[in-house]
Amino acid sequence: MRRPRMLSRTAFRPWRDGAFRLLGTALAIAAFALSSVLLLRAELNERFDQRTAEVLGGQLVLDGSRAPEPAQRELMDAVRTVPAVEFRTVLVRNEQTLLVSARAVAPPYPLFGRLTLAPERFGTEYTADHGPPPGEAWLAGQALDRLGVQVGDTITVGQKELKLSAVLKREPDGGAGFYSMSPRLLMHHDDLQATGVIAEGTRLDHETLIAGPPERIARVRSQLEENLRPDQELEGVDDAAEETLSPLRQLTLWISLSVLLVALLCGAAIYLASGERVQRHARHAALMRCFGASRRQVLDDLLGREFVAVLPASLIGSGLGVLLVWAIRRQMEWQGAWSAGPAVWALALLAPLVLWASFALPRLLRLLRTPAGEVLRAGGDHTRPALELGAALAGPVALAALLTQSWQDLGLVLGILVVLGTVLPALFWPGLRWLDRRSARWPLTLRLALRRLSRRPLLTLPLLAALTLAIATLTLAGQTGTRLIDDWQGQLPDKAANYFLFNLLDEDKPVLRDWLDKHKGEPSPLYPIVRGRLTRIEGTPIREAVTKDKQDSEEALNRDLALTTAEQVPESNRILEGEWWDADAGPGQVSVEADIARSLDIDPGDSVTFVTSRDEVTGTVTSIREVDWASFEPNFYFMFSPGSLAAQDATWLTSFWLPEGSGRRLSELLEQMPHATLLDVDALLERAEQIARQASGAAFLLAFVLMGSALLVLGAALLAGQNQRGLDNALLRILGARHALVRRVQLLEFVLLGAGAALAATALVLAALWPLGQRLFDGALPISAWQLLPLAAIALITVLGGLLSRRSLAQPPLALLKAG
Amino acid sequence: MNPSPILSALHLGKTVPGPEGDLTLLDDVSLDVHAGESAAILGPSGSGKSTLLGLLAGLDRPTTGHVRLQDQNLNELDEDELAALRGRWCGFVFQSFHLVHDLTALENVMLPLELKGDPAARETATQWLGRVGLHQRRSHFPNQLSGGEQQRVALARAFAVEPALLFADEPTGSLDHANGRHVSELLFELNRDEGTALVLVSHDEELAGRCDRRWRLEEGRLHA
Ligand SMILES: Nc1ncnc2c1ncn2[C@@H]1O[C@H](COP(=O)(O)OP(=O)(O)O)[C@@H](O)[C@H]1O
Ligand SMILES: [Mg+2]
Repeated sequence: MRRPRMLSRTAFRPWRDGAFRLLGTALAIAAFALSSVLLLRAELNERFDQRTAEVLGGQLVLDGSRAPEPAQRELMDAVRTVPAVEFRTVLVRNEQTLLVSARAVAPPYPLFGRLTLAPERFGTEYTADHGPPPGEAWLAGQALDRLGVQVGDTITVGQKELKLSAVLKREPDGGAGFYSMSPRLLMHHDDLQATGVIAEGTRLDHETLIAGPPERIARVRSQLEENLRPDQELEGVDDAAEETLSPLRQLTLWISLSVLLVALLCGAAIYLASGERVQRHARHAALMRCFGASRRQVLDDLLGREFVAVLPASLIGSGLGVLLVWAIRRQMEWQGAWSAGPAVWALALLAPLVLWASFALPRLLRLLRTPAGEVLRAGGDHTRPALELGAALAGPVALAALLTQSWQDLGLVLGILVVLGTVLPALFWPGLRWLDRRSARWPLTLRLALRRLSRRPLLTLPLLAALTLAIATLTLAGQTGTRLIDDWQGQLPDKAANYFLFNLLDEDKPVLRDWLDKHKGEPSPLYPIVRGRLTRIEGTPIREAVTKDKQDSEEALNRDLALTTAEQVPESNRILEGEWWDADAGPGQVSVEADIARSLDIDPGDSVTFVTSRDEVTGTVTSIREVDWASFEPNFYFMFSPGSLAAQDATWLTSFWLPEGSGRRLSELLEQMPHATLLDVDALLERAEQIARQASGAAFLLAFVLMGSALLVLGAALLAGQNQRGLDNALLRILGARHALVRRVQLLEFVLLGAGAALAATALVLAALWPLGQRLFDGALPISAWQLLPLAAIALITVLGGLLSRRSLAQPPLALLKAG
Repeated sequence: MNPSPILSALHLGKTVPGPEGDLTLLDDVSLDVHAGESAAILGPSGSGKSTLLGLLAGLDRPTTGHVRLQDQNLNELDEDELAALRGRWCGFVFQSFHLVHDLTALENVMLPLELKGDPAARETATQWLGRVGLHQRRSHFPNQLSGGEQQRVALARAFAVEPALLFADEPTGSLDHANGRHVSELLFELNRDEGTALVLVSHDEELAGRCDRRWRLEEGRLHA
């Protein structure tokens, strides 16, 4: 019974000391930031793997033209598998025929993600975690229009009749093939035999989708790899991750950087506060030494007690971090167990203590080195700058290593931190010096207030830098988040296209024009589309010609590209090299998109050859174009001069704007052009906006925590200077200053500090927004009410500073006599 | 004897609450100081000298009795009125100098003048800094000055307002012998030239010996 009570006393008594409260708060904030980020990163990595698995259909996919061998099936016994067979087939109904891409699946399809369905064309969407039951089929919306069928009707696949029981909106693993998608039909694997397509010798694509615990997947993979048939291929999540990791890596890099900043600021606060703690302990330590306690005993007693007291603070912070990640998991509807393994959990709990060990411990260890008598005389400086500096550097570097987990990222993050830590304070230095000199002729109050800052550059400069960074980050996070999306949407032309329509035939053009007229839609130019595969550059077969930047070029080479012709440069395109053709230019000229030109090493003057469904098209490159992919206009990699594609089979592509609410009428239009495919841009935008809002929410939270830790440093600095400040104020009172004057000096000091930081932060924000304005807003800066945040920060700093230093105002003048 | 003393204390007592009941620091202390007079209060460390000085200068409130400074009963004034009174009539010199660290030597001397709203603060302060021999060091900050120099700045600051009364608490206590001599010479010289009354608190017999009047403080009681 005694022990727990003693423990709770040692754990909670120190909280009565202001210095310890500050230290505890700093540690809790750092623990919150570190633990939530470590846990969140584990979740994100897992979600990313899961997302990749969704797109892929499984963590591992075995692909072949025939079903897997029995021996291979045996190997896969240890993991969950789904057979998925894909084939192309023609649906017929009332003389309408339609080529669809059919897929036969069995439970537990889908292994990852959910299917999105609708009860009818343009009906309210819902999701399902299973495929259609035997005897039923789900069909993509545009196929319904073309065939003129509705949910509830019966369709015939090969020789099998299937009941159409839902509209298929999205499959989790549906590729986003923009121009080459034939409508999807989803059916049950058990019905496959009855369709007779296998007997007919239709080309089939047999996929086995695989899911299971990572170590089993790895084992199955290596075993399968040794037993692959020539027609078979394995693809895993890791293959895909390698190609697409970079946005995730960038995100985690930025998060790591901000969290390290928070940790550093908290470290600074811990350092300052622990200086005060040392003074509290010093007398006690010296007494213990006087009475013959060994260094070991002093260590156990003081450090042990300090550590026991520090532990709850760290745990509370970590607990809040866990709570945050829990809330995020709920909000995002992330299912399943937590992704963090025992190692990550241990790290999340220990990381804040690393911070304490590197910023507080060396100062506390001072107590051991102090000779007994000297502490009592309150003299002697027993700092070990080398030890303290070393520890203060080692801790953050260790944390950075834990957070980044790669040498390259570690270097990058540390580099940025060093630049921020040195350049930003250095920028303030000349200004502070200048003010210091100028202030000689200023009125007393202003001079006193300014000098309190300018005479302590080692405290003021880092403090200014921290506050500036925090204010700027908070402003930017607020500004660039949802505001930016709104601004950008506002920036889009009033009637920006909200629908894309492709696969139009020549005879559809007047129909579309009339329909748009009737429904007050806004048409855009029509582009002919010819699908072609790039085969030769300058007459050299492409496989040999391409050397650079494998990934990008593969993307361009492994699929049919949409080729078009145009008389004029699309509005959102910009010519970088060469020249666009005249209106009466002959056929045979090509304009190439800049990125693809770079990755394929295409220059003006080169000739490019495409194979089309008919024959070949060759053109000479006369210009390189920059394309604004965010413009929501039809964009093309290769655009030919008019007439170049005349001999080809072309369909037409266009975009148009429809007033809100007219979308439901579209089925009317599509009935008249059953072969056409429609893309709803608003739906795409909504999804992008949702992601952007979540990201900006996260950025805002981080900025908020950063601001909190910057204010904590302010608090710690005030605490460390509290005694001197009290004496200074008392002296002013003795020399005849009124109370109001002393208070004014003090408030003015914080106003100046806040104003300096706010000014610099505003400059920083404008500097950051400038390139953004150039890129997105035709040179106009995206100004908003968030620009007023620095002003609010001045008020906050003043109020907080005033509150935290009010004790030094209450210091009676008599204290000066007591102070010697 | 002059009719009305510049400073008088009547039956001053100070008790503070302690862990074992109230602790009496001062008991029935009465004294008068007249214009231009120098008075020393002697006593060993811990005898209550600083406590008494604090009461006399209105930095603290007595438990019993009262202090009259320039015919004002200090008990009847609030904190701001006391500050104004000190600013107008009193100068201070402390054992550990207590210069404002953020102000230069000159600005330290200007400080009480500026607080009074003296438009010629800079000129007056420059003159005074010259009188204590520190004109060359006027733009130096306290941490760039030696202890003796800091105390000389403190003297200039105390005299610059031409106070009627100067309070000094162990003015040489933190200085070595030579510097202590220099500072006390200066103190008495300025005191004589300016006609300022001096209330000096010290345990240094030699310093006290140069004053017109002396009291001894023992266990909170004042003896002639
Ligand atoms: N507010 C107080 N509470 C308790 N004890 C006090 C207080 N002020 C002074 N003392 C005590 O009164 C005694 C006299 O103090 P002080 O006037 O500073 O003596 P001196 O200046 O002569 O050395 C000392 O023992 C001191 O500890
Ligand atoms: Mg004393």
